[in-house]
Amino acid sequence: MAKVTVATDWLAACAGCHMSFLDIDERIVQLLELVEFTSSPVTDLKHPPEEGVTVGILTGAISNTHNVEVAKRMRERCKILIALGDCATFGGIVATRNLVRTQAALRRAYIESESTVDGLIPNSPELGVPLDHVSGVSDVVKVDLFIPGCPPSADAIFFALSELLAGHVPVVLPAEHFRYD
Amino acid sequence: MASIKLTINEQKVTARAGQTILEAAQEAGIDIPTLCHHPALKPIGACRVCLVEVSGQRALQPACTFPVAEGLEVQTESPKVVEARKFVLELIFSERNHFCMYCEMSGDCELQTLAYRYGLDHMIYPTYTERFPVDGTPPYFLLDHNRCVLCRRCVRVCSEVVAHHTLDLRQRGSATMVHADMDLPLGASSCISCGTCLDVCPTGALIDKRSAFMGREVETEIVKTICSQCSLGCGIEVVTRAGNLLRIQGDWGAPVNGGALCAMGRFEPLYDKRPRILAPLVRDRGKQEEAGWDRALQAAADRISGTDPDRLGVLASTHATNEALYLLGKLFGRELQTTRIGLLNASTPLLAAGSQGSLADVAESDCILVVSADPAKEQPVASFFVKRGVDGGAQLILVDAEETDLAPFAHVNVRASNIDEAVDRAQRSESPAVVYGAGVTDEVANTLAKLNGKAAFVGLQPGVNTRAAMTNGLENGLDPSCVEVLYVLVGEEDWDSDETMKQVREGTFLIVQASYASPLTERADVVLPMAVWSERSGTLTNTEGLVQEAHKATEPSGEARPDWEILSLLGEKLGKRLGGSLGEIAERASHQHH
Repeated sequence: MAKVTVATDWLAACAGCHMSFLDIDERIVQLLELVEFTSSPVTDLKHPPEEGVTVGILTGAISNTHNVEVAKRMRERCKILIALGDCATFGGIVATRNLVRTQAALRRAYIESESTVDGLIPNSPELGVPLDHVSGVSDVVKVDLFIPGCPPSADAIFFALSELLAGHVPVVLPAEHFRYD
Repeated sequence: MASIKLTINEQKVTARAGQTILEAAQEAGIDIPTLCHHPALKPIGACRVCLVEVSGQRALQPACTFPVAEGLEVQTESPKVVEARKFVLELIFSERNHFCMYCEMSGDCELQTLAYRYGLDHMIYPTYTERFPVDGTPPYFLLDHNRCVLCRRCVRVCSEVVAHHTLDLRQRGSATMVHADMDLPLGASSCISCGTCLDVCPTGALIDKRSAFMGREVETEIVKTICSQCSLGCGIEVVTRAGNLLRIQGDWGAPVNGGALCAMGRFEPLYDKRPRILAPLVRDRGKQEEAGWDRALQAAADRISGTDPDRLGVLASTHATNEALYLLGKLFGRELQTTRIGLLNASTPLLAAGSQGSLADVAESDCILVVSADPAKEQPVASFFVKRGVDGGAQLILVDAEETDLAPFAHVNVRASNIDEAVDRAQRSESPAVVYGAGVTDEVANTLAKLNGKAAFVGLQPGVNTRAAMTNGLENGLDPSCVEVLYVLVGEEDWDSDETMKQVREGTFLIVQASYASPLTERADVVLPMAVWSERSGTLTNTEGLVQEAHKATEPSGEARPDWEILSLLGEKLGKRLGGSLGEIAERASHQHH
């Protein structure tokens, strides 16, 4: 039987969710017998294969135009999209920026910070443009499974993937795998 | 009361007339989730989390307000109910900031628990971005409107329990805000910082400044004990983590206060900055030095035993436990035969012995006389009962108390010289109550005696354990100039000793049992370090005569020991076996009282 293909990527995130993913420890060997990881910050391959994957996993919030592109491309190239972690689920820590507004946050970070001399808000055309409003992934693309948590526990991630591999869809996370903090 | 039969989730349940579906379900062990409901408050059905299916009703009904009726069939977790409940929760989450990861209440939040229970894995409405103010102006807590779910528990507890009516709501719909007075910052409002609203807030909207982010409930320990700040004896829960005091919260099952506390009981003890006495001190060649317990007690005992009882004086704080006050009376009064025993605090005479009432009677009364007392300042929780009485329609008459914080609630102010007028009004009412303090004169007492048998009399003792001190015969006056050895149990009290010490003759040997360093301990020849309220067990007799057990929540600081233990050890040094354990002493003390 062909392996199930998985691609992961991070948007506006701290990498904690991917760390938690790696925290599934030796069970990853068990997982790799059934799953092939394609693009992922872990494999250092940047783009999901054009032929598509079965499961796409996104961590992090939608914070700039680049995040929107990455989320849309992942959605196009995967059958089942998982929003992993609080930021991907509902904006998380990144969404606190909404409370001060984006321009004020940029000014504070790049110009007004106590250690800044001759500050400049980055404006290279190669960079994504910060959005006025930070949101979860589901504000931009359809999400099939949410695993909240900051970060979600390794057990929750392993449980969700195991359920998917067993064909138990939609996946229902039991109470012990649920957390918002 | 008529019993009513209904079925809840196919289970046959018997309820009493007047109960709600929620109450009937709780008694039958069926869990219906709630958010705005609180057992100490009147239900208002505001949040809709407790919606249930009720036979014969077109729409889902809130279980907290729907009365039981014969033959009702109720479903509490049917698919329709669960769908509605999730919808209600999603709506609550759609307003304000309910991101848990940086909220102090995460882990202990009732809203979060409900979201876990109903599997809310994401928000279906767009992320809410409006920013609400945080009111950090109160000294001990803060109000974060971003976390508020408008359940109105704080508003209701401020009105129904504390009866102070500081908190209320303004505006409507999603613009609704909890506010103080006419939209003042809490710190500038009529708020008395009793903090009772903190104990009922289901989310992180009202949080204690001192203990914020210092531990979730599962990481802390809670000891139920009795507040030792005034003579009411309110039930408190002391929250500790790894031996550190985090905060004090009200005990909703306590007989005296039923959950409410005041700033003096809830916050002030945790902000005490006075330096502690950590080791026994003995004066040697003019200088105080640290000594072990054995040496310090021996030094005290040597001087006491060599002194004529008529030259031996004792001054005691009424803040000590029943056991300590018993031992003090037993050791110095009966064993050592001194008559020179005085109290640091005044006492309130017991008026109308056959007509004693309770604070609950005050709240039910239709005419309340507050005579020469200032409960709002001295025993704040007692003032809650007075104000509840006023809310219930009682006439409040202040006698010689017009300058107190009860004044805004009073209908009539009279001087003590016009006590007749107040008593006349009370006589014309159905169920009067008299709340009086230490300032009651004999003349006023005589006039109040006319209400004997009709009114509920509640005397408010200054100090903490004055009733026990009186029972142990510790009321004799003391002329400090007559003594050569003076034993002062000052305990935790912040007692201004100047006046008394001026009268003490030079060369008088001073033994001080104290928790905190003060001019008195600096002058002492022997200082015996005493454990504070949170560090000792014992019993306390409240102003109504109720004897309650206080329990130790933390270990004593340094070498400090409980008040009763110090006296027991001193007794041993003097060859008097007065009882070694708390149980033994408490047993002997209770025999003496009966």
